[in-house]
Order: sequence, then structure tokens, then C-alpha cells
Amino acid sequence: MILFFLLLNFLLIFQSRLSQASPRVWKRDADIESLRGLTTANGDHSGKAGDPKGKYFHESTFHPHYDGRFAETVLSDPSIRRTHLTSLAQTYLRTMREIGAETWLMHGSLLGWWWNRRIMPWDSDIDVQVSERSIAFLAEYYNMTVHHFDIPASAEGPGKEKGRNYLLEVNPYYKNGSTDDWLNVIDARWIDMETGLFIDITTLRRNRTAEEEGIYGHMMCKDKHKYRENDIFSLRDSIFEGVPVKIPYAYTKLLEEEYGADALTKTEFERHHFEMENMEWVPDTDSPE
Amino acid sequence: MASSYQSRPDQKASTAPLIHFASNNWNDAHDLDASDEDEAFYTADDDYLIHPKWQAMAIRTKNRIPRRIQRYFFIYIVLLIVSYVAWRVYLGPQWEHNREEVRKMDAELKEVYGQNVRHEFTDTIQLKTLDRELVPGAHEGNENRRLIFIGDVHGCREELEDLLKRVDFQESDDHLIFTGDMIAKGPDSPGVISLAQKYSASCVRGNHEDRVILSITEMDAHHVPLPGPEEDPSKMNDFMDEESFSHGDFKVRKLAKQLSKEQIQYLKECPLILKVGNVEGTGEMATVHGGLIPGIPLEEQDPFQCMNMRSIDLDTHIPKEDHSATPWEKFWNHRQKKLDPAERLTVVYGHDSKRGKNIKKYSKGLDTGCVNGGKLTALVVESGKESVISVSCKNYK
Repeated sequence: MILFFLLLNFLLIFQSRLSQASPRVWKRDADIESLRGLTTANGDHSGKAGDPKGKYFHESTFHPHYDGRFAETVLSDPSIRRTHLTSLAQTYLRTMREIGAETWLMHGSLLGWWWNRRIMPWDSDIDVQVSERSIAFLAEYYNMTVHHFDIPASAEGPGKEKGRNYLLEVNPYYKNGSTDDWLNVIDARWIDMETGLFIDITTLRRNRTAEEEGIYGHMMCKDKHKYRENDIFSLRDSIFEGVPVKIPYAYTKLLEEEYGADALTKTEFERHHFEMENMEWVPDTDSPE
Repeated sequence: MASSYQSRPDQKASTAPLIHFASNNWNDAHDLDASDEDEAFYTADDDYLIHPKWQAMAIRTKNRIPRRIQRYFFIYIVLLIVSYVAWRVYLGPQWEHNREEVRKMDAELKEVYGQNVRHEFTDTIQLKTLDRELVPGAHEGNENRRLIFIGDVHGCREELEDLLKRVDFQESDDHLIFTGDMIAKGPDSPGVISLAQKYSASCVRGNHEDRVILSITEMDAHHVPLPGPEEDPSKMNDFMDEESFSHGDFKVRKLAKQLSKEQIQYLKECPLILKVGNVEGTGEMATVHGGLIPGIPLEEQDPFQCMNMRSIDLDTHIPKEDHSATPWEKFWNHRQKKLDPAERLTVVYGHDSKRGKNIKKYSKGLDTGCVNGGKLTALVVESGKESVISVSCKNYK
């Protein structure tokens, strides 16, 4: 009897040892299988098949600015696309503010904010950055969370009046801050689960290569953009598309460095002109196309 | 012509008629050109460059010119060459540059900076107007009032007190206006604010006040508190540690923690631009820390530029933080002179310690680098009179 228990004990211990010793295989990405019930898409258009193995985020087979797990086609009507893009920005900014993750506008979105605090009509995406602490915070507590908003779904179709869902997905490779990891320059995404539109989120990191050389106060992103810490921080509070937003400290300087002086003075761009009376970009009526 | 015929043979040897001596030898070209006699004849004449007649004339003229002038003739030539080279290399281009600058300053550009929406930020007041009661000569009974503008103090409280004594500051009659950067860098920032609060001084926001206020907002907003002094630093994970050092504003945060709530509130209430109003003898006045872009109303001026500009690009009117373009005050003065006298505005500002005291008709730069061992400067404005008074500072660098 005693012998039996000893044997059982031995077996149990051995088994547990065995299971601990063998590494568990963790699934690194959320493929369409794991999103069943959350997506209305019938097939996988994620573009995963054509991407290199180490790449976490995929761009859809039909357009680089759509997530193929949630959509099958592009939004053809530019005004509908713009409404979705606006909601995307508003919901993202509201959520980040609510959970206390530090995020701010950059690139084209910052230029849009500079002119009239709106997305520029011809801009196809929204550019934001987060701090290193914020991306860790999002990864630890908010990865793969679905955020529901009671905003009217503009698209037609059944079930769309029930509001909108957005997915926050963090790239596990965010921990690798090296620019050599060029497959994973995007650290997280805020994805519209109805249309497949998304916001690319990149982390602003301390430039450790520069710090090794004894140069401090420099920042970088995995997409190789470089900034001075004092130009980004401290952030300022403003409004973008009607919701509170953070703006980098030296906003004009950053825009001038990236786009040149023209971008701040020229009132004609991409077949639009800026009307000062209503502070709006208006499409040129006599444009050929 | 002499070489075109042969020399005549000895007369005695012949009695034949002269014609017989004629030959066709002259056809031979060699003989014609190579007349040694001719060359020998003329070489003596060719020896001098100037004809003796001219030479004599020159000597006569020279004798009439005083000896001293003659002696310095060479030096005059050298000076002439030097001034010509200077003009070509330095003065000429500069004169051209100035002319170009004036042309650009006069140009009415269509596509120019400032057509965008005006930027508003939380905790930032764009514009305030000074109480008329405080303006010298605004109405009967306050003719004796004075406005005392003070440049970048940067926490130098002792020097500020010295300066107030020097200008004979009287609380009942005088009003203090700080041109920003009252705090940071120097030894006693809280002391300077307390003094300003005590005398109900006016102020505008400088770039250092701006950093402190933004930093306080940031500290308040974060979901994870900053590590306190009692906390064990080894307990923290990497990211918290990074964040506590991050944003390069450790100094700013340290300063922010020295300030009381009332002092922070005082700083928050400093507007970007203070409209002083009409002062007899000077006209309309305003105060800003950095500078202003001509042609844009005070309400529409960009907050960041107000606090940070030092120069301005004349092609785009985009201000710069450094001195790489035309000084903003040069452009400002040029444009004010073109305006109707009633619309002209005199700006009192700080921020530019590199140029130091910079008093022009429509701009008064008061940052004289006190914290770096320079001076602390005040502009005293009375009805129909203004004066600039400075005190020396210790070097706190």
C-alpha cells in the first residue's frame, strides 16, 4: 500500500517536473480563428500568408490601411471613410485619456491639428505616439481589449445601430526597441472592428544608442524617426476633432522640420484650399478630377 | 620711306647719269626690311617710355604738388584699394542685404504664417488688459503713477530687491510688470514669486513658467505616481524607473515641487500677452516674453511663438527660437513705422539675453542675463518719460 502511494507520488512529481521542463508554446498572434464571434468577415484577408514569419501586424490583401481580419473591401466613399476615421481618432483619444495612457499627435495628424484641429480631408491615416511607460501599461493591462462606444454606426446593414467596437492590440515585439526589428515598427493598433480601419501606434523611446555615446535627451521610434526630448515634452492639452488631445511641446518646430515652411504657409494642397472664414479645407471646385 | 631706295654710290667713282644706278633690288623683301641703319637710328628715341616733352611737363606739375602729399601718395593708393576691396567683399553685400531685408519687410505676402486657427491650450490665458487705474496719466489723479517693467529675473530675489530700491519703488504709486522667466535657473524662485504676489505685480508667461506649469499638469495626470524619496528604487520595474527620469524635466519637476499651490496659481494666471494700454508720451504698450509677429492681432498670436521667438524668417514670417533669421524686433519696428500712429504698439519683452538691453522706439528688450552674472534691468515708464535702470548680478551659473 505504502509502496503504491510512493509510486503514485513519484509519478505525480515526475509528471509535474516534465510539464514544467518542456516549454509551453504560446500563440503570439491573434489570427482570424481566435477572433471568431468578434468579426463579421467571412474569410481571412489579413495578408498574413504573404508576410515574413517574424512580422506581427499584417496589412490586408486589398489595402495597406485596413485590417483584413475585420473587413473584406475598402470604403469607397471618401466622405464615409472620413466619418469612420474621425470616430476612430475620437474613440482612441477618449479611451487613452480615460485609462491614463500618455499619447499625442504626430506627423500628418499634427499638421491637421495645426491648421484647424481636424484631420486633413486627404489624409488617409492618423498618426499617434505613446511613451515607453504607456506602451508597457497597455501591453500589461489592456492588450486585446474590446472597447464599446454608443456612437451611431454610419454604415448601413443589420445590427449596425448597436454601436461600435474597437480593438486595442499590442505587438509583443514592442519590448524590442531596436530599429533592426524593421518588421515590427508598429507597436500597437487601435482597430475599428466594423470597417477594418486602424490607427498605428508607435512608441517614442529613449535613444539608447546615443546614450551609450554619452548623448542624452534624444528620442527615437522604431520607424527611425528621431526627436529631441525637449521638443516633445512636456505635452500640451488641446482639442482634436472635438475631443481632448495632447500636443508635443514645440509643435511648430516639429512641423517645420518634417514638412518645411511651406506646409505652414501654403493654403493650397492636394486640390484643396484653406478658407480662413470657417477655418476649413475646401475641395477646389474647378479641379479636373 | 628711307629704306625704299639703295644708298647712293661714291660720286667720284662715276659720272654716269643717276638713272643708271637704279636697280630692281628693292623688289627683294629681305633687303627692304632688314635695314640696320634705320633700326640703329630709332633705338635711341625708343629708349624712354614717355616723350621728353611730356616728362618735363610731369616734373613741372610734380613740383607744384606739396612734398608731403607726394610722400603719402603711395599710402593713398593703398587705402583706395583697401576700401574698394572692403566694399566689394563686405560693405557692398551688407548694403545689398539690408536693402533686400527692407524690401522683404515691406512686401505684402499672400501665403504667410498665421492663417491657421488660433491655438488654445488649457491653463493658458492668451491676453489680459491692465487695469486703467494703474496706467500713468490715464486720467486725472494718476499723473504721478509709474509702471516698472522688469526683465528676466530667473529666481534672483536679492538682485530684484536691489533693483526695487534703486528705482525707489513705492507700493502706493508704482506697478510692477514682469516680462516672464521670473523663475528657474537662479537661487530663489519661490522668493521671487512671493515678492511679486506681495506687490500684486503683473506678469506674462515665459518659456520657463510654461515648462513648470505643463510639468505640473503632467505629474497630476499620470496613473502611476512618481517614486517618492522613501521608496526603494530597486523595487521598481524598468519602465517606472525610466519614466521617473524621462522627459528630461527632472529639474523642472524639482522646481515645481518647491512652489506652493498659490504660487503655481499666480503663474497660471500670467497671460501670454499683457495689454498695458495707452501711456502718455509712449502710446499703446504691451508686454510679451519672446516677441510678436507683425500683422497678426494680439488675440491670434501663436502661444508657443510668443514665449520662444528670437528671430523671424521674412519670406514666410515663421518665427525661430534662435538668431538664425532677422531679429523679430527689427521687423516689428519697421512695420510699426508704416502704421497709422494710433495703431502703433510698443512691446516690452525679455528672453533674449544674448542681445541684452535692446531699446528701440517700438520694442524694449530687457533681458540682460542677470542669472549668468549680467545685470537685472528695469524700464520705468512715467507719463511722458521713460528710463532704463540696471543693477549688477552675481553669477549663479
